[in-house]
Parts: sequence; C-alpha cells; structure tokens
Amino acid sequence: MPKVRFEKLGEVHEGEVKDDTNLVVRAGIKQFPWPHLRYGCGMGKCSKCASRVIEGAEHLPPPNWKERKILGANLERGYRLVCQLWIHHDVALCQDSDEVWAATIKPPEESAA
Amino acid sequence: MNQVMNRDDFRTALEQAIQGRSANKSPFSIAWASGKLTRAHLARWAENHYHYVGPFADYLAYIYGRTPDTMTEAKDFLLANMYEEEIGGDRHTDLLIRFGEACGTTRARIEDPDNMSPTTRGLQSWCYAVAMREDPVVAVAGLVVGLESQVPSIYRKQTPTLREKYKFTDEEVEFFDLHIVSDEIHGERGYQIVLEHATTAELQQKCLRICEVGAQMRLLYTTALYRDYVEQDLSLAELGLEREAVAA
Repeated sequence: MPKVRFEKLGEVHEGEVKDDTNLVVRAGIKQFPWPHLRYGCGMGKCSKCASRVIEGAEHLPPPNWKERKILGANLERGYRLVCQLWIHHDVALCQDSDEVWAATIKPPEESAA
Repeated sequence: MNQVMNRDDFRTALEQAIQGRSANKSPFSIAWASGKLTRAHLARWAENHYHYVGPFADYLAYIYGRTPDTMTEAKDFLLANMYEEEIGGDRHTDLLIRFGEACGTTRARIEDPDNMSPTTRGLQSWCYAVAMREDPVVAVAGLVVGLESQVPSIYRKQTPTLREKYKFTDEEVEFFDLHIVSDEIHGERGYQIVLEHATTAELQQKCLRICEVGAQMRLLYTTALYRDYVEQDLSLAELGLEREAVAA
C-alpha cells in the first residue's frame, strides 16, 4: 500500500492508501488526507488541490492537458493537481497556504469571480 | 433468514450486484469502445443522456429532503454531490452539451425532451420514482451506488477511445474526464451512506436488490440506444455478438 506524506502549514500528516487511490476522492469521503487537503471542483479546473511533489514525482504519470493548462510554469516548480493523480507508489506532497495559493496558482478567472 | 453482513462483505455484495448486469456489456458500449460508432450515433447518445443525468441533482434533492436530520453526514454527502454536479465547477450538463455539439447536434436539440427515446424516458421516470418513494438509504443504493458509481469504469474505458479513434479534442471530451474523478467521489459517498445506514438484513437485501434493478435499467437504456439508433447501421454480428447474448 502506498505511503503518503502530506505537509501543510508546517505540519506533517502521514497515511497509507490503497493502490490506485485518488486523494481528492479520499478527502471527498472524509478520509486521510481530509481535512488537511484543500480541494474544490474535483475536475482539474479550480486548482485548489495543487500541491508540490517533494518525493515520488518519478512514479507519477506525465501531467495531463488540464494540469498543463492550469498549472503552466508551476509544473516546472514541481506542482501537480492532486485531483488528477491516481497514486500507485509512495509520495510526499506539500500544499501551500490559501494565501500563497491565491497569489501564485489560482487561475485569473477565479480571482475575478 | 438473511444475516446482517459486515461492511466488507456488504460492499462486496453490492459490487457484485452491480457487475452482474453491467452496462459495459451492452452492444452500444461495446460499439463505442471499439470505435465503431459515428458522430451521429454519439449525438443521439448525448440527446438521450442529457435527460437521464441532467436531473441527477433533482433526484438527490428528493432523497435529501426525505433523509432524517439525524443522518447529518449522509445529508452533507448528498448536498455536496448536488453542489458539485451543478455549481462546484463547470455545470456537468454544459460539458455534455459541448460534447454533443462536437458530434453535430445542438444545445436546443439536446435540451428538447422530445428527442429522447421512450426507454430513456422510462429510465428517467424510474430514477424519479426511486428518489421519491424508496427508503432514502435504498434510494442512495439504487441511484448513487447502482448507477452513478458505475460511471468511472465505463468512462475510463471510453475516454481514450474518444481521443484516439474518434479524434475528439481534450476540451470536447472534458465531460468524460471530469466524471472519472467526480463520479468516483460521488459513488464512494454513496457507498459510505449505504454501508453506514443499512444496518438490518432486510435493508441490506433491499439495497442489493435495487442495485441489481438499477444496473438492469442502465443496461436496458444502453441496449435501447443500440436498437433505436445504431442497429440499422451496425449489426450485432459486426460487433462479434450473438442476438441471444443481448439482454432484452
């Protein structure tokens, strides 16, 4: 079972998940990494779930079209959309505070809404 | 007399009840997955599918209103499903309409209830009837576990085909992409509600039965799509199927 380490606001949260797990699906049913993982639409649009991959990036599939569209240059900084990832191997993720996310990743159309 | 199953055994039984008559096995789904449908066939699918999934938040709203306020988490899950279906991001039916437009039909045609088949009308009516009449836990088993939770496995199989064989763009097939994620959440929430609240043998058996019926209804729907729109162009033999093997 893949081990997941999730860092946010200086705290570390760890858990094990079944193979082929989507962490946003887990959070959606109030299981780890709930309540720590911020997420929104679950459709690769709002970017709220964006997190930086600290370890295990080599085991993840290449970014899909939604991640390329929403994250752009943030992909090169190691960010991925967690709602678009199905976990098969150990991974460590770090999610920014709401303020940092709003300043760096949040799509412009969201800001205008 | 049936015994009360533990959560793991009950979940396995629910999954088996659904898989027994999975819509994946219908000739329409097989034709879709093998790339043998035309865009016109897919347009007819969009014109029907809209009337089945379009009112999903309405179905859930009936269940929500009849769920006791003591079942707070179940109500919250239903409300979250409704919100995400309609306004959590892009409205799901708008993405379905975008796909339909890429297939050559129009928003007006898709939204017009006169363009759905009698069988689709029957499926929609069954969904409303279950939402309004069944025990709320049984209704969740039928509509969310029995129907909605099947969607990710169907679309996971169909989405690559839409890009590779039918040559749709990423934006045109976004409806299918989002369902792989959001319906997985919705289906899992449905399982959580049913596993938590179907605590008697009688209620568990009702949940299993309605899952079987729900899967039959979806299979009936997709089989009718084949017969109404595809069969004249594509025979069962061309799909490698025998008539006896196709559910009535």
